[in-house]
Amino acid sequence: MTRMPPRTTLTNGRVAASKGVAFSSNPILQVKLPAWRSRFVLFVMFAAFLALVARAFWLQGVSTDFLQKQGASRYARTLELPATRGKITDRNGQVLASSVPVKAIWAIPDDVQSAPPEKLRELARLLEMSDTELRKKLDSDRSFVYLKRQVEQETSDKIVKLGIAGIETRKEYKRFYPEGEVMAHVVGFTNVEDAGQDGMELGAQKTLAGMTGSRRVIKDRLGRVVEDIESIREPHDGRDLTLSIDSKIQYIAFTQLKEAVEKHKAKAGGIIVVDAKTGEVLALANMPTYNPNNRSVLTGAQLRNRVVTDTFEPGSTLKPFTVALSLDTHRVTPATVFQTSPGKMTIGTATIGDSHAHGPLTVAQIIEKSSNIGTAKIALQMPPEEMWEMFTTVGFGQQPKYGFPGAVAGRVRPYKSWRPIEQATMSYGHGISVSLIQLAHAYLIFARNGDIIPLSFTKVNDSPIGQRVISENTALQMRRMLETVVAPGGTAPQAQVPGYRVGGKTGTAYKIEGGKYVRKYVASFSGIAPMSDPRLIIAVMIDEPSNGQHFGGPVAGPVFANVAANALRALNVPPDSNVTNIIIPKEPLEESM
Amino acid sequence: MTGRLCLLLTALLVVCSLAVVSAQYKARSLFIELERASSTARQLDVDWAQLQLDQSTLGKNARIEELARRDLNMVPLTAARTQYLTVGDK
Repeated sequence: MTRMPPRTTLTNGRVAASKGVAFSSNPILQVKLPAWRSRFVLFVMFAAFLALVARAFWLQGVSTDFLQKQGASRYARTLELPATRGKITDRNGQVLASSVPVKAIWAIPDDVQSAPPEKLRELARLLEMSDTELRKKLDSDRSFVYLKRQVEQETSDKIVKLGIAGIETRKEYKRFYPEGEVMAHVVGFTNVEDAGQDGMELGAQKTLAGMTGSRRVIKDRLGRVVEDIESIREPHDGRDLTLSIDSKIQYIAFTQLKEAVEKHKAKAGGIIVVDAKTGEVLALANMPTYNPNNRSVLTGAQLRNRVVTDTFEPGSTLKPFTVALSLDTHRVTPATVFQTSPGKMTIGTATIGDSHAHGPLTVAQIIEKSSNIGTAKIALQMPPEEMWEMFTTVGFGQQPKYGFPGAVAGRVRPYKSWRPIEQATMSYGHGISVSLIQLAHAYLIFARNGDIIPLSFTKVNDSPIGQRVISENTALQMRRMLETVVAPGGTAPQAQVPGYRVGGKTGTAYKIEGGKYVRKYVASFSGIAPMSDPRLIIAVMIDEPSNGQHFGGPVAGPVFANVAANALRALNVPPDSNVTNIIIPKEPLEESM
Repeated sequence: MTGRLCLLLTALLVVCSLAVVSAQYKARSLFIELERASSTARQLDVDWAQLQLDQSTLGKNARIEELARRDLNMVPLTAARTQYLTVGDK
């Protein structure tokens, strides 16, 4: 706005004057303003525009990312898409472990302090803790405190209803085990983070665990999701796991084992039932056990899965392998006679013995009467290498591959270091250690006409291809011998089953404590049923029976018999024997140790 | 002539804009419905898992045996008291 030239002013003055008002005479218009003032105004306006442009550049160009993020945070939300852990079911689809959504209750202690005391008292009641306990938890410097985890949905709803500021919930999962202690050692359990800790929960952790996903969405004023703004990261639920376990047989095995452990005042016990046709583990139980739904008081003894993770000297249950090898290599026939008198035998500096002097025994009778001397004599005919190979092929001393955590290999020393006495004692199961599951696995060669297949804890659909260990004929001969063990003249007439032909081998071994044998026993029985067409292998182990009896026959035999009878019926296996009255001799034969 | 074309195009533009608005609105309500349905599906999944669990809990062998023994006075069967029938009985 430049100053008007004086001429124009005069003209305007004239026009104005003609209308009777003489503006030109107005003294204000006559003021001469200095030129810098108008330039200053112009500059200020220019600067203001420049500031606007700079600001626009700042917003649009430099801080646009930040601003867009701020904007998005006002309408866009990232939602966590939870994934559930897979269920574990038995072979018939009965749920053994399942995750149910629950809530974790957490608090921001500072915010909660101002809550009315009666509400806090109510909260403490709902959380099932005392008032002081709750106060102690809230009296914390941290900004995040878990009050209680794995709270059931109903309770958490009530807590939310209380409307205490600073109390929040978070979704999580709780694992339920409907079968409880019966299945505890097979299924295992998870921790509060839903991660497997033991048993198949740990063994199959990778496939069972889900992968949480997420999605970005736009929410409207009412909190409803109206649009996805990025591609969804799909959650992947954990895959369900179908075990090979049959919960009916598992229950039978568990109750029988429990009864036996209580009856014989034993320290512990284990039992495993294997399907001879498919190698599936149908039942696996341990005593003592625990309830996976309530693990507040747990001891190591309860957690221990003795069947899989404990090794013991199997004793006589190993004799059939020595004899089978000898038969298979045509060194002996079932009718070959060995002299076992006088019930004592000295090899090197050590002496081994039988519980009774049996006199001359055939190979079949050596198994029937469980003669240590007979077995040792058979074993000493063979080179250690062959025996070692036999033990190794059936899985002793080998790291098992069942997909079950904690499975141990047991111990078979290299044959090169075997002394004759060791070879002799190993032939009847001493100086060698195996787990019960390995023992049951090895018995497959007798039940399956000479071949061995891998064991499986998951359901098997097509029957696996076996690896031949002994000939079909040897397996048949061995089965006949094992059947005589449960006959009235054998070491385990208590293991007879009405209606079915069964067979097996007893084992009684001293325990080793601190490298020395002590007068504590492990009684075991490993058996096959029914003999005409073997379907089940049942191995039982009772640790430290201390109620008068400690031999495998009377202690572990009846467990085998009861489990076999009930399991065969449960599996609809037709009876193959007409014998329904079991005769157990008054004083049955005691086996050698 | 140009004036009329302009008017027509303007009208068309307005109609299209309204259609976009309404389509967006419809899309969002359908999406909300979808959300609701999928959350129902999730809830049903949870319920189903819970029911399966209940079935297992109520149908576990320990409970059945206890009920059979206590309330129904049943005893385990033995081979001696069992009559086996085979197909095509001789």
